[in-house]
Amino acid sequence: MRAHGPGKAPEAPLATLAKIKSAQRLVAVDRKAQALGLKPGMTLTDARARHPSLVTFDADARAEAETLSHIADWCRRFTPLAALDAPEGIILDVSGAAHLFGGETKLLTEIEAQLEAQGFHARAALAPTPEAAWALARFGTRQILPEDEKERRRVLGELPLAALRLDEKTIADLAQAGLRRIGDILLRPRAPIAARFGSTLHARLDALQGLTKSAISPRFEAPAYVAERRFLDCIMRREDIEATIASLAQDLALMLTRHGEGARRLEVNLFRVDGMVKHIETGTSRPLRDPQAIARLFRERIEAIGQTDETDPLDAGFGFDVIRLAALTVERKDQEQTGWDTSSCVNETADLAALIDRLGARLGLRRVTRLAFNDTHIPEFAVAAMPAAEGNRTSRAYHLQQPASNNFEANSNGVEKGLAQRPIRLLQHPEPIETIASVPDGPPLRFRWRRVMHEVTAIEGPERIAPEWWKNETALTRDYFRAEDSEGQRFWLFREGLFNRETARPRWFMHGFFA
Amino acid sequence: MSQGGSSEVLEFLREKIARIEADGSEGAGFARPAAPARISLGESLGENFSLDRVLQGGLTRGALYEIVAGRPGDGAAASGFALALAARFAAQNSKAGASIVWISEDFAGRENGLPYGPGLQLHGIDPARLVLVHALNAKESLWCMEEALRCKAVAAVIMDLWNAEKSYDLVASRRLVLAAQKSGTPGLLLAAGMAGKAASLSTAAKTRFEIFSGKGLQLASAGSRMPLPGLAAWSVRIAKARAGPEASGFDRDKVFAVFWDHEEACFRDAFSLALASHSRDRPGRPADARARSWQSA
Repeated sequence: MRAHGPGKAPEAPLATLAKIKSAQRLVAVDRKAQALGLKPGMTLTDARARHPSLVTFDADARAEAETLSHIADWCRRFTPLAALDAPEGIILDVSGAAHLFGGETKLLTEIEAQLEAQGFHARAALAPTPEAAWALARFGTRQILPEDEKERRRVLGELPLAALRLDEKTIADLAQAGLRRIGDILLRPRAPIAARFGSTLHARLDALQGLTKSAISPRFEAPAYVAERRFLDCIMRREDIEATIASLAQDLALMLTRHGEGARRLEVNLFRVDGMVKHIETGTSRPLRDPQAIARLFRERIEAIGQTDETDPLDAGFGFDVIRLAALTVERKDQEQTGWDTSSCVNETADLAALIDRLGARLGLRRVTRLAFNDTHIPEFAVAAMPAAEGNRTSRAYHLQQPASNNFEANSNGVEKGLAQRPIRLLQHPEPIETIASVPDGPPLRFRWRRVMHEVTAIEGPERIAPEWWKNETALTRDYFRAEDSEGQRFWLFREGLFNRETARPRWFMHGFFA
Repeated sequence: MSQGGSSEVLEFLREKIARIEADGSEGAGFARPAAPARISLGESLGENFSLDRVLQGGLTRGALYEIVAGRPGDGAAASGFALALAARFAAQNSKAGASIVWISEDFAGRENGLPYGPGLQLHGIDPARLVLVHALNAKESLWCMEEALRCKAVAAVIMDLWNAEKSYDLVASRRLVLAAQKSGTPGLLLAAGMAGKAASLSTAAKTRFEIFSGKGLQLASAGSRMPLPGLAAWSVRIAKARAGPEASGFDRDKVFAVFWDHEEACFRDAFSLALASHSRDRPGRPADARARSWQSA
């Protein structure tokens, strides 16, 4: 499969170049160059000697891989299971899908024709195993492996040994022994060949014949449920696309209801006529099968995409001809009683879950969070923001600790009991401050934070938080202080490092704020 | 027309405006609309808290309130005040365990930090109730706020907007007010970065509080010369009150010194601090149990 240059077909033969084995060699050639007898692997000097008119480009492996993955995505219109077979192949699992396109022959013709229309020259072949299809597409004279056992052996036997994907040395060795076609080794006893050329040869041969099964690894997992629409005339207006998604959601909801399941992860694939495929994915906080809610989530997603790309959020180009809605992950969802008591508690939680879904669809689910407590004393790690959609309600309560402070007597007075010793707002990263203290390991008298000097009028501390030595040996002990400045603003500061024991110059940081 | 007559006319017009403000329609005849339930800020017994008196009984659900920092460093104090208001709303919500939604613009989060779970718990808010939304910018925050305000299952929505001047205007605030009125969910706009500009905003919000961090009651320390920092305390100025009975006749310049009783989850006047703190000292106080039952609810 090779790409023409953009625009009209060029007149001169084309080839791409790369440096292989310390020589500039052809990597790929176009049809015209092929007709002239140029082959991949040839050195540039040889090729130029034969045809001075040859036009060459540097091979761009990354761009080629990207193009191939785009083609693989495009192929998902035929089946959800499409796997990359680098550097130049794509393997599709079309079991049970061929009849949707009018049979196997028609499917192959359609794939080839549509790729040709996009400017790719492709050869498609169909066989019961990926290996046989691989061999047929590259070396076969027929596109489809015959059903009949005898005929099949004949077709496979005609293939050259290169169809077994062996390395060049083995093929050359086999050729020296007079073995050139698969038919040559099919009928020979296995043991002597295996002894001389290794066991790979027969493993490949068995796979080719379908005696052993092998699987492909698709680029994307097969979704649990899929609903799709195909259009003769492409649609491009956003309203039409959203309406299509809404009606697909109805179809999907029927399937989900029948199986008693709800979707947790949904995806819309928009197949553009020129081969581009657009994926829009969204997640939910609870199993969902309400078609209106699904449609609304995708409306929000499209809106969110539109905010980053004002001009054309869906980038419709010449329009989409296939739109597919898939439930990627599903969970069991029991039938709910609806419509009896609208003010019930169930409705309230559903209401909140719907809100979380809507916000998540617009901002991304990771941006809608709940607080989860971790078992650590290090303040910034004691709480983690977990995506609310994960529904993790097992957050532990924070244990109120009494600090071992030098002001303990005042605490025991009772008045200060339950005093807020943790700030209401915590900086994401502690910020260094300059402090002036009477003694190096004493509390600060004044400090400068963000260029403003604060005079400390009241202070409490230290609350000593030791580092987690089992995780990080270089971390230093922190002494936390609660300080109030002359304006009544209350801060949470800490000194990092114990004076003279851990460090000679302890550093000070601002970490949080009290109300 | 006599003096008394004109005041009657004024009274009538005020009532009419209040009705239009409340439900968007002029209302038929002279039937007084049912006064919306008030959420008192002080102890549930009510009338003896200064802010409650000025606000004619407290705040109403289904309205938008603005909390503006008084000085550049008062962002945290304003946050604490907003959280305290949210706690009052949550405590007097009929649905047990209704969530509080905190929408944080990314810049505000970097500048002033994010709400910290253990601190919230000590402030009287159950962190498990908090839904924290990280919005990219002010525009996105406003959209989130409107969505959240439409949700009936939420006890209160707080939006932490760093620079309210740019995108938050009369139209934006009106949208929020309408969403809040429809669902009966209160909205709290926290403008921590707008220090000292409380007078310049023109919005549809019901009440605007200007918050200065106040000196709490500092206790003498046993070990050192410096006293201990006090409890959460604020100096509150009501910069604006729109509509409702409290709209007329409040003193714009009066500053209320209040503090937050995180155990009872209610506000108190600062002058009664000494009394309150001594009475809180008794062993086996039933209020502890009450506070706990509220937190676990």
